[in-house]
Amino acid sequence: MKPDLKVTIAGVDFANPIMTASGCSGYGEELSGLYPLSKLGALLTKTITPEPREGHPPPRTAETASGMLNAIGLANVGVDRFIEEKVPFLRKQKTKIIVNVGGRTVDEYVTLCDRLSGLDCVDMIELNLGCPNVDEGGMQFGSDPAMTERTVREAKQVCRCPLIAKLTPNVTDITATARAAEQGGADVLSLINSLVGMAVDVQTWRPVLTYNRGGLTGPAIKPVALAQVDAVCNAVNLPVIGIGGIADFRDVVEFLLVGASAVQIGTTLFVEPDAPLKIVNGLKQYMKEKNISQVSDLVGRVRKY
Amino acid sequence: MTKPVCADAFLIRQRNLKNDYYSYTFGPFPGVEQCRPGNFVHLRLPSSDVYFRRAMSVTSVDKKNRELEILFRVVGRGTSILARYQKNDPIGILGPLGNSFSKPRKKEIAAIVAGGVGFPPLAYFAEHLVNGGFDPKRILFFYGGKSASDIIERGRIKKMGVRFHPMTDDGSFGRKGLITQGVEEFLRDGGNQRVRMYACGPEAMLRAVDDLGLKYRVPGELSLEAPMPCGIGVCLGCIVTLRKGGYARVCHEGPVFKIGEVLL
Repeated sequence: MKPDLKVTIAGVDFANPIMTASGCSGYGEELSGLYPLSKLGALLTKTITPEPREGHPPPRTAETASGMLNAIGLANVGVDRFIEEKVPFLRKQKTKIIVNVGGRTVDEYVTLCDRLSGLDCVDMIELNLGCPNVDEGGMQFGSDPAMTERTVREAKQVCRCPLIAKLTPNVTDITATARAAEQGGADVLSLINSLVGMAVDVQTWRPVLTYNRGGLTGPAIKPVALAQVDAVCNAVNLPVIGIGGIADFRDVVEFLLVGASAVQIGTTLFVEPDAPLKIVNGLKQYMKEKNISQVSDLVGRVRKY
Repeated sequence: MTKPVCADAFLIRQRNLKNDYYSYTFGPFPGVEQCRPGNFVHLRLPSSDVYFRRAMSVTSVDKKNRELEILFRVVGRGTSILARYQKNDPIGILGPLGNSFSKPRKKEIAAIVAGGVGFPPLAYFAEHLVNGGFDPKRILFFYGGKSASDIIERGRIKKMGVRFHPMTDDGSFGRKGLITQGVEEFLRDGGNQRVRMYACGPEAMLRAVDDLGLKYRVPGELSLEAPMPCGIGVCLGCIVTLRKGGYARVCHEGPVFKIGEVLL
């Protein structure tokens, strides 16, 4: 029996459920120097904003116990240069392309969706509703259910491909924003974005990051992510993409079992850029051992107490 | 542009140099083929005490046996873990990464300025020049450290036949004083010869070399260090500020930058 890793989410077919997370694989160019991107289920771009952004001054990343803090500040080339310089490369890649977008206002999200969702190489759009590291937009959209619903609804009206709402964990009840995104018409939910964190240098008494705070990611956040994915899968009827500290195939299986249809690999790409390849192989082996032919047969099969 | 390789290799040889300095040779690693002086490798340490890889400059390569050597000093958690490595232990290597030093022009003097642990990439570069036929007498090797024990691999430098100018803060080896004082004397009194500087070392030293380059209108290159989450240019964590505005990634546009390019 040959294990089948194909998954279909909102009508889009993916070769496997392993995607890169936004902000962790640039625009794909660097990673493609290490292995063909066709090995990925999908490549997610950095968050694209209307204008180019340099991001915050250094230092903007720091190592933590089993993870990292970052406050990059959505550094990106902006939508014009993205279309001009990055899309020609992405068009040639034999993988699904999901463009992540971020705005300061609802209108900016709408404009970005309008401009990007019609491009032939764009298979899905993911709304970044939870970046903790910007002063305007970002988390303020994702932490208020009414705002989440409105942003998703207006973006959905212009979006010509399936729309993913990426949710922030920095809320009291993530199922409230998940339901709001569902109400707004999202086709898919992805979670979690990074958790707000902080580190202080005891010699200088200054925060380690110039933005003072940052987003915590990496294996340190996996149990939190898994619990939130579990909660959201029980609360909505949408496909869910699990994100948060996934480092190997066992982590992927955990997310699938609680109900995720696919996963995104984020910070792990920084320390193990070829992790998606190892994960795909590990997943195949696991499926053989467990006599599972379709990877989708694992989805939601957790046996809870 | 080099095409990095991500693969496992083994610790083949280790030398415990004095004062917490170590020489490690890893192999077999296919990425060695395309390695150039100035490049670095990103090492995955098998310990839950550190999460990021650790970037280390390559100090020599053996292309035939696909081996590469790094030199490091124990300064923190990552290097402490590395120091406990045993022969034949496996290590994940990603590399070669980053850009490399550019060659001096024909009539130029190459003034190499190494400060402490900035020595490894410059030793590789100097050897590369000499092996490529560059006259070793036109290579000035300034090498500064706190104390005599910081001036490592003296035999290796001697073997190159370059003009060696060691200096220590306490005068325990070579001349007493800061290495940049020696460099400035040379630039000031060096006459009309055309010079190109190549520097790697502590930030204060690099800043001083950068100032000297601008003051005496001497071109050159500085190899910078920064904590690097990814090493391949995607995380945007290891940035430096450019004088012309904007940022550059140390791992991708660097680690070698032109004098005057970076706001240090």
